[in-house]
Amino acid sequence: MDEEPERAKRWEGGYERTWEVLKEDEFGSLKATVEEILFQSKRKRALESHGQVRLGMMRHLYVVIDSSRTMEDMDLRPNRLKATLKLMEAFVEEYFDQNPISQVGLITTKNKRAEKLTELAGNPKKHLAALKKARDAACVGEPSLYNSLNLAMQTLKHMPGHTSREIVVIFSSLTTCDPANIYELIKTLKSLKIRVSVIGLSAEVRVCTVLTRETGGTYHVCLDESHFKELLMFHVKPPPANAQSECSLIRMGFPQHTIASMCDQDSKPSFSMSHLDSTSEVGLSLGGYFCPQCHAKHTELPVECKICGLTLVSAPHLARSFHHLFPLEAFRETPLEELPADRFCHACQGKLKDKIVFTCPFCSGVFCTECDLFIHDSLHCCPSCINSQHSN
Amino acid sequence: MASLSEEVLLVLKKVRQRKQDGTLYLMAERIAWGPEGKDRFTVSHLYSDIRCQKISPDGKAKIQLQLVLHTGESSTFHFSNDSSALTDREAAKDLLQQLLPKFKKKANKELEEKNRMLQEDPVLFQLYKDLVVSQVISAEEFWANRMSTTNTENTLSDKKQDVGISAAFLADIRPQTDGCNGLRYNLTPDIIESIFRTYPAVQQKYGENVPHNLTEKEFWTRFFQSHYFHRDRISTGALDIFSECAKQDEKGLKSMVVQGVKNPLVNLLSLEDKTIEEGYGFSAAASTSNPNRTGKENSNSAIIKRFNHHSAMILAAGSRRGDAPNDQASETSSTDGNSRDSDLFQPPIKKVKLQEAIDYLDLQREDGPKTVALNLKKSDRYAHGPVPLESQKYTTSQDIINSITCIRHEMANYVPNLAQVLTSSAVSSAIAALSPGGVLMQTGTQQAINQMVPSEVQGELKHLYIAAGELLRHFWTCFPVNSPFLEEKVVKMRSNLERFQMTKLRPFQEKVQRQYLSANITGHLEEMLQTAYNKLHAWQTRRMMRKI
Repeated sequence: MDEEPERAKRWEGGYERTWEVLKEDEFGSLKATVEEILFQSKRKRALESHGQVRLGMMRHLYVVIDSSRTMEDMDLRPNRLKATLKLMEAFVEEYFDQNPISQVGLITTKNKRAEKLTELAGNPKKHLAALKKARDAACVGEPSLYNSLNLAMQTLKHMPGHTSREIVVIFSSLTTCDPANIYELIKTLKSLKIRVSVIGLSAEVRVCTVLTRETGGTYHVCLDESHFKELLMFHVKPPPANAQSECSLIRMGFPQHTIASMCDQDSKPSFSMSHLDSTSEVGLSLGGYFCPQCHAKHTELPVECKICGLTLVSAPHLARSFHHLFPLEAFRETPLEELPADRFCHACQGKLKDKIVFTCPFCSGVFCTECDLFIHDSLHCCPSCINSQHSN
Repeated sequence: MASLSEEVLLVLKKVRQRKQDGTLYLMAERIAWGPEGKDRFTVSHLYSDIRCQKISPDGKAKIQLQLVLHTGESSTFHFSNDSSALTDREAAKDLLQQLLPKFKKKANKELEEKNRMLQEDPVLFQLYKDLVVSQVISAEEFWANRMSTTNTENTLSDKKQDVGISAAFLADIRPQTDGCNGLRYNLTPDIIESIFRTYPAVQQKYGENVPHNLTEKEFWTRFFQSHYFHRDRISTGALDIFSECAKQDEKGLKSMVVQGVKNPLVNLLSLEDKTIEEGYGFSAAASTSNPNRTGKENSNSAIIKRFNHHSAMILAAGSRRGDAPNDQASETSSTDGNSRDSDLFQPPIKKVKLQEAIDYLDLQREDGPKTVALNLKKSDRYAHGPVPLESQKYTTSQDIINSITCIRHEMANYVPNLAQVLTSSAVSSAIAALSPGGVLMQTGTQQAINQMVPSEVQGELKHLYIAAGELLRHFWTCFPVNSPFLEEKVVKMRSNLERFQMTKLRPFQEKVQRQYLSANITGHLEEMLQTAYNKLHAWQTRRMMRKI
């Protein structure tokens, strides 16, 4: 074509023109999007979960982000580092959504050293701020797998036994520059029951294979940006607990939200403990969550009480994790021809046009592809099953 | 004399101090001077007290050494030995230069650390002022509590991380031509450290020659020019200071070759090039190495020798740290190129090694991850909370059907009568209550409070909260009380809290009351303190009951 020589080569451009990939067929429907969705859901089923198993729901997760020279490669747009940081922001939000009682910390590695970006914390704001600031950092040198794992291990080894200790490494370089034998470190990680998973951006590296195999994690190499996002989101779900983790009773406080008004005789304005450090103008307030043990005030949950160290949560936070324990079964795929003509999707009431429709095994409700994805990703319950129970 | 029990490092005679002749003694932990003929020392300073040393400039007739202490005092020593004054003073100066840094760190580091922390964090500074300056808790307690939490974090991050040597560190130096037939090498401290660690002989040479004979720049220039650095290491004779390094490396390589390799599957001695021609495979007749090699072959073999030596050193470094903890590991700990994971993670049997050489993990069937099944009884309890058992009033189904029909009937015959719903006065009072500012809409008075209480008062209250929070945090960490140390600490914290209440909270409260503020702004703080007291009281009574 004549336009080819004038256009810059695709990998040189900063951004990809995604609209050039889509094609419309004769009826005007975008085949590519549908194929994409189907392919995604198929891949998801391949990494699908297990029945009712014990999960490690209180998680302490460190994410190690490679910031070495290879992260300036532009095969992910605009370059690998910026794409990774953007996906990490989405990951952090999704992680705290699905695991309200867990914590996350960030580590970067470059120039043969590792640096802690943020400490383990349960508040997403600090992590998001740090990720935004890290966009301007330069990528230089070689990463050090040993140093970053060591740094994460220093903190994780002090965590209590009933929580799950995890490290996810986003590794793009093909080499690592370590001061000592990394196999020794792998042995130590295994003995401390720390699970390390790796997401590779370039190719499979032998050291990472051994690392993940020995510690019980997963190792995948991403194909493109959407696959990268999927792999990252795979780590949002709590992993199955291994047999050796202890079971213990965990002490938690469930404070009630009090709202008082000025007319009450004994209304006491007070400062919230979380706002003492900030220099913002948030001042005295009347309501809030009072810790049941030490009576300190906090403005949002879940949080660890700064005074007495009690974990404060509200019941909906714990209930939000229940859908991991009772996962929704995958729906049966049936071709459209087997159904009587002119069926409508139970969820969106739209006419069924796809070749494959999904049927719930309990209530035999029929759903289209998009509704099926939505039900399994976000709703975690079949809408027709719930409605039919109520009417009984 | 005191010097008998200490190790004396250096003795210098004919050193004058304050116009008196005497002898200077440098010992392991202090420097001392005694006048001639007398047994005791008149001047003695610990190295940790000395801040710095000064020497008189070279041109001066008097050769002197001055020691400045932390307190500001100084002692001057005049070296008056006619023949060796200068060398004496140099010897003393060098020894002091080595010893002083060791002692300096111990004393000052903590103080500097504390000052730095106070300066960096204004909140901490305020806390310090509130608690220590007003004598609620003592300074040692304050720092003891702080250091345990922050010091661990600091030492972890400040501690210099052990850094590996990048494989390409020499190539990364990237010489640039500077226009007139010369090359510019950029050396960073990282690269220099890598060179020293890879070639310890070079580090030795550096220590010997710099700064006595050569400057740093000259040293590195010589290094890069020498053939040691470049590929073809043909020995050029003894002019080059690095030719010794080459010889040392040869010796090291020979000793490693003698050690041999412990892998049963590798026979290094039978490796040779036995080609006939390109693509024609090997010939059975072993061609013995030709003693008269051409120059090119010589340089090739030199490069190969360097590669082998370098690789052998790397592998040796890998196994050096974890020094064979048990026999199993040592038998198979050869981390040579042919080792598999079986060396470190499975029993060291030759059979296993052969097995691994045959199997490919990728081709085997993948087992799912091992999971622990969840054993839930009464799983429907997760769907709704616990329901208290109450006596149920049973209604028959006929009753229910009757009531439903009744309601349905009434709903069908319902005629709205809007005029009789409420009286107008009730309506207007309801509207007044529900508009902003009314009785039922008081929850949005966030701003009102902040405006009612002036900002200085708020600021002071904030400081009080921070101080109280710190004390309460230490109080609550004592529970559960497991050891006698914690018992004492708990009681001490209670007294600290009471003192805080007396000295800080009450005056603040009175000040606020004098300003006629109606809001009870210290009520929450008092509640927190009271909760803490109650907890301690409950614990004490429980302990009393257990003893009885």
